[in-house]
This record gives sequence, C-alpha cells and structure tokens, in this order.
Amino acid sequence: MNGVTDTELMNEVSRGRTAALAELFERHHRPLYRFFMRMTGDGGLSEDLTQEVFFRVLKYKDTYHPDRPFQAWMYQIARNLLTDTARKRKFEVLPGEFEVVSSHAGADEEIARSQEVSLLRRALECLPLEKREVLLLSRFQNMKYEEIAALLGCEVNTVKVRVYRAVRALGQTYRQLEGERAV
Amino acid sequence: MNCDDARKYFVDVWRGARDVPAELREHLDGCAACREEVEELGMVWNRLESLPDPEPSPRLRQEFYTRLSNYREKPRFSIGAWLRHPVFQAAAAVVILAAGIGVGRYAGRDTNANEAKVARLEDEVTDMKQMVALSLLRQESAGDRLRGVDWVTQTPDADQKVLDALISTANHDPNVNVRVAAIEALGRFNSTPMVRTALPKSLSRQDSPLAQIAVLDEIVELRERSAAPVIRSLITQTDLNPDVKQHAQWALRQLE
Repeated sequence: MNGVTDTELMNEVSRGRTAALAELFERHHRPLYRFFMRMTGDGGLSEDLTQEVFFRVLKYKDTYHPDRPFQAWMYQIARNLLTDTARKRKFEVLPGEFEVVSSHAGADEEIARSQEVSLLRRALECLPLEKREVLLLSRFQNMKYEEIAALLGCEVNTVKVRVYRAVRALGQTYRQLEGERAV
Repeated sequence: MNCDDARKYFVDVWRGARDVPAELREHLDGCAACREEVEELGMVWNRLESLPDPEPSPRLRQEFYTRLSNYREKPRFSIGAWLRHPVFQAAAAVVILAAGIGVGRYAGRDTNANEAKVARLEDEVTDMKQMVALSLLRQESAGDRLRGVDWVTQTPDADQKVLDALISTANHDPNVNVRVAAIEALGRFNSTPMVRTALPKSLSRQDSPLAQIAVLDEIVELRERSAAPVIRSLITQTDLNPDVKQHAQWALRQLE
C-alpha cells in the first residue's frame, strides 16, 4: 500500500472495501491516540476514542469529499467526538496525570531533564482547551497550517497568531511553575 | 512591519520555514523586544520535543480489528439493487458464457473454426471468473471475500491483478480466516515468482498466530529457502506465540 494516498484509500473505503480502512488505521492511529492522550490525559479513554474515530470514518464515508485532505477531515471527526464525549461524561477536557519519566538515581542531567519534562507537561495541562488544541495540532500532529485553518474554520494567519499566543501562554505558565518549584 | 505583524511569523521561524518574509528579518534586526521574544519562545517550542510520545496498548489494535471484522453495514436490500450488483452480473455472465460454450461444442463438433471460437470463449470465461473473484475480494462481508478467494483458486491462470489482490488480502484483510484462506490459495500459484517473493514478506506482516503458521506451511511447501532469514528474525521476537516459535523452528529445519 506504499505510495497510495490517504484520499485513494478513503475512496476505496467509500466503495465498501474495509481493508483500506485498516491501512488508514495503521497510518494514523498513533498520532491520533497521542492527540487524544494529550487532550484528555486518559489512556483507556484515548484508545476508545481513537478506535471510534475510524468507525465514524466508515459510518460517514459518503460525506467525505476527495478534494479535502483526509487528515483534516479525520481530525474534524476527532474534535466532534471529543466534544460529544466530554458532554456525555460531563468531564472537563483534559487534566489527568501524565506519567512522569523516571530517572536514574545520581544522574543529575537525567533528573533535571525529567523535571523539565514534568513541568512542561503540567504547563501544557494548564493551558485553556483552545490554546492546547491549536498548539498540539501545530506542533505534534504534523498538519499544514492550511489544514488546521480548514479544521478550525479560520484563516491561516489567525492560526499562526493563535499558535504564537499558545506558546507564549505555555512559556508564562512554565516559568510560573518553575518559580513555584524553586520556592 | 510592526510588532503585531511580526508575531504572525514567529511560528514559521520556530518551524524552520524557508519562506519567512525578508520584512520579518528586518524587523527583528531593529526590534530587540521581538528578537528576544522569538528566541525565548522558540526555546519553549523546541523544549516540547522532549515530551515523550505516549504509545497505545496492544488492546487498541486488537479491538479495532475484531470490531472491523464484525462490522457490517445495515443492508438496504432490494431485488433491483441485487440485480445491479456487479458480483451478480459477473456471475450471470459466466453462466451465460459457459452455456454458450456448451452449445457451441454441441453444435459445431469437428470443425476447426468452431474450436477456435470455443477456445476464445473459454478465455472469456476465465476473464469473467477473475472479475468475479476481484469483485468478491472487495466486498464488505468476510463470507463474500472468502468466496472471492475460492473463485481465485478456480482460475489456475490468474493474472497479475488477481494475484496482487490475493496478496493484498493475505496481508491486510481484517478477518484472520480470510487472510489464512488467501495465504493457502497463494500456495496454489507456486510457480509464480511474485507469489514466491510475497510469502516471506507476508510472514513479517502477519500478527495472528494462525496466519503466521499458515504462511510458514506454504513456505515449507514451496521449499522457499530465501525465506530462512525472515523465519530466523521471527524466532527472535520476544513476544512471539510459543506455538508459532516451535513451528518456525520446524520450518527452518525443513528448509536447511
């Protein structure tokens, strides 16, 4: 299946060939899981949501337009699913405890790195939903700005400004948490 | 360019974009505050790289494939739709062609011209059978796809397109029974180089013990010695099913 585009695979899915969905799953389930994981902090829930996205792809295959990037369409489904789930389960999207990377006793650099990662995660958790989402899409999901803009329903420049604001907020929170730790 | 305009492009700098406008460079050269901010926030952006990527458990893949193999769309049955179904149409064409051949043989015995016509019709039947097989292999229901594999085995001269579809089914079909049937069907085309190459590759793709054992059996049947390194690599996998490991060791002994 190498060399076959997502759109071609999605066309196969639309024709009823579910094996093509398996290929789309193999390509996208990890980044999608990470997106959910970073949005909810819940591993089990993130696995359920990831799986559900692909079955919604199957269910709504007739609404897919081949001139729209598959990834943007898939994340649209993911966002709707996340909103629905948050409403049904009455939970605030995010905060959960991300696992903390363990460090080798005595290895100062390792400990410092581990603390830095831990602080960064907490800072990310503290970001408001909209900021966290645009930052994750831009930094981790390998999406083009045009795709993010289509997904969020805004202009490319607006996406860039939102990412800037999210990074600035993340930096402020990080410094604040760092200061609290130092006290 | 003022500071607000410049901030629109900060993320391009962090992402290492090549088309950062020259005006931004000029602005940064003359504005210490923006220069400091783009560098400081750039470190935050880069630091995000250190966040480990969470990995899903094997449960996700298992449940997805189980659910996919059981997935069926709600049928929207109608006689008209059934008559328009390509599988039905192709099967009907095969029956009509076969009947034509029978009539041709009966009516035109002992004439060379009719023999040639019959041979051509037989070729057409083979083509139609392959078309039916391809159609069935693309169906939603695992039962249909199993029938598709069966149709392939009825066409001893399957062309490359059909063999490609069979190999793809053996490697990617969500249902393990269909995959196993396709692997066994591949063994019937043992003189075809693409099948001999595909089987060892398939071994490294399979994650179900049933399918892994089926591929090993076909490799042994074909005496495909080039598969030995793939089998050795399989044996070294720490999470390999013990039955598969034992079978792989047996297969290796058969090939050596």
